Amino acid sequence: MRAFKKTATRLIIRMTLAAFTVLALGPVIWAVVTSLLPLTALTSRPPDLNPLNMTLENYRLVFDSSRGLFSGLINSFIIAFFTSAVGLVIGSTAAYALARLNLPGSNKILMMILATQMFPGIVIAIPLFLVMSRIGLIDTHFALIVVYLSFILPIVIWILKGFFESVPLELERAAAVDGATPFQTFRYIVLPISLPPLFATGVFAFIEAWNEFFFAIILTRIHVKTASIAIAEFSGQYQTLYGQMLASAVLASIPVVALAIIFRKFILEGFVEGAVKA
Amino acid sequence: MATLELVNVIKKFGDFTVVNNFNLRVEDGEFVTLLGPSGCGKTTLLNAIAGLEDVTSGEIKINGKTVNDLGPFERDVAMVFQNYALYPHMTVEENIGFSLQLRKRSKNEIQEKVRKVAEMLELDKLLHRLPRELSGGQQQRVSIGRAVIREPSIFLFDEPFSNLDAALRVKTRGEIKELHQRLGVTSVFVTHDQEEALSLSDHIAVLRAGQLEQYGTPEDIYSKPATKYVARFIGNPQIDIFVGEFETGGEKLSYRIGELSIPVSSTIKPPRQAVDMGVRPEFVLLGEKGFPASVRLVQPVGPFTYVTVEWQGGTVTARVSGVSHLQPKEKVHVKFAEEGLLFFNRENKKRIDIEER
Repeated sequence: MRAFKKTATRLIIRMTLAAFTVLALGPVIWAVVTSLLPLTALTSRPPDLNPLNMTLENYRLVFDSSRGLFSGLINSFIIAFFTSAVGLVIGSTAAYALARLNLPGSNKILMMILATQMFPGIVIAIPLFLVMSRIGLIDTHFALIVVYLSFILPIVIWILKGFFESVPLELERAAAVDGATPFQTFRYIVLPISLPPLFATGVFAFIEAWNEFFFAIILTRIHVKTASIAIAEFSGQYQTLYGQMLASAVLASIPVVALAIIFRKFILEGFVEGAVKA
Repeated sequence: MATLELVNVIKKFGDFTVVNNFNLRVEDGEFVTLLGPSGCGKTTLLNAIAGLEDVTSGEIKINGKTVNDLGPFERDVAMVFQNYALYPHMTVEENIGFSLQLRKRSKNEIQEKVRKVAEMLELDKLLHRLPRELSGGQQQRVSIGRAVIREPSIFLFDEPFSNLDAALRVKTRGEIKELHQRLGVTSVFVTHDQEEALSLSDHIAVLRAGQLEQYGTPEDIYSKPATKYVARFIGNPQIDIFVGEFETGGEKLSYRIGELSIPVSSTIKPPRQAVDMGVRPEFVLLGEKGFPASVRLVQPVGPFTYVTVEWQGGTVTARVSGVSHLQPKEKVHVKFAEEGLLFFNRENKKRIDIEER
């Protein structure tokens, strides 16, 4: 009976996991399949999914076309890279200070940081556009990096603050007794043991910035168009080039997927540690 | 080499007073233990000595110089933490050498010193391991090594044995005592374990709710406890304390507990105030003489057996050498050795030295 129960439980768990996998992977597979089919196959009713029709034509067209996916990818990379890098440097030092330095009013500061996240993006979109255009920052990398930092930093600070608080206080006290200044303690002790959560948060920030669409479309015009905008532009007034659009989407997701695979170990460790130790 | 002095030290967290008006003087080369139950303020006091925590008022002096405003490093103290606090991403070698590395010593010098310390602590074969690859006892030795390499003027130990199993605890205790004998560095040790305190210390400070209850040698603390609290805290099994009164009827002096009359050395003068009487197990004698009682509990612990006996109105535990063949319910006679009786003022709970007549 017990053995049966165990098997049944396992079966249910596996089926649930399988369902989740299908749910998560379905759109991805659909995107890949679509990107490989000619437009005619997609617009016919029912769609013609014959694998013999599959072609890499869409991918060739994406690069040939003047829609600028390639420069979009480069722009996205620049913006996402600097957002996550600057976000980590500022965010980790701020988080450490808030977690450990007994600053007066640190709780208030934290709540204020959180409060900035309460506004929906649409609320600040128009004022932000006005400000940016007055100071001439529309269509610059800088504008997007600053805007992305404004919503990524609070998340970075909150995640890392939680982690830094879980670092045993004795470690830092031991370092203080060994003669380390607070900055040296941070640099030589706290930072090295915080690499997994730092990587995890960094990757998270990168993906957020990479995928962002709303502010990108408001604050860019031609030069700094990001990949997500380049993809959206395949949907025109008269027709949508589904095949090319999804070929671009697949191409645009490669860096993010690669990042996640490369840092998989760190990301898992980072989130698990945050969960268990907090 | 250093002396340490605490003068009227008070530490408050908000409105809560953790350490209240604490005074202590540790002589050069002494090993002093702060002993007390958890929450008595002993670790807070140690952190204050280390410079990891500020005191609310009072002075901490090292070598006669007030160090209140100095950081841990400038105080030249080294500390061994309860959970060792080894840097998890550094090898044993890097852990031990970290303080020297911070001081920008040359690689050769660091290596040489680390090697010496590691040899002394039998860590020389583990230098390239990470802390998580070490046993609890080895981790403990690394944390001691990290303290030793600095050649500090004071060692501070915060319950360093509490994460070790019983056998290792006794072994490490011996190692720390040897280390102290060899280096002769002034040491302050915090523990709630009376056995550790008694076996290691030159002097023990017994703390109670942030106050110094008694300061003395291990012998004094054990055999001449200043208060009922100290008497109860030290000694295992606990001292038995009875509420009764002196009886001066006739030639013989005795102490009456309910129906029972315990003979007391007739050379002493009974004090005027109300007193309680305490007796430790080794001064309770079972045999043919004394008052009748029956055995309630027999607990052999190897070299001794602790036998708890009861009578109408009381119980007491006796220490019997070797193995006792007594059985529960068996009738015995109980006698208290006169030299082992302790008397405490019932009002202020302080022990009174009974005057000789």
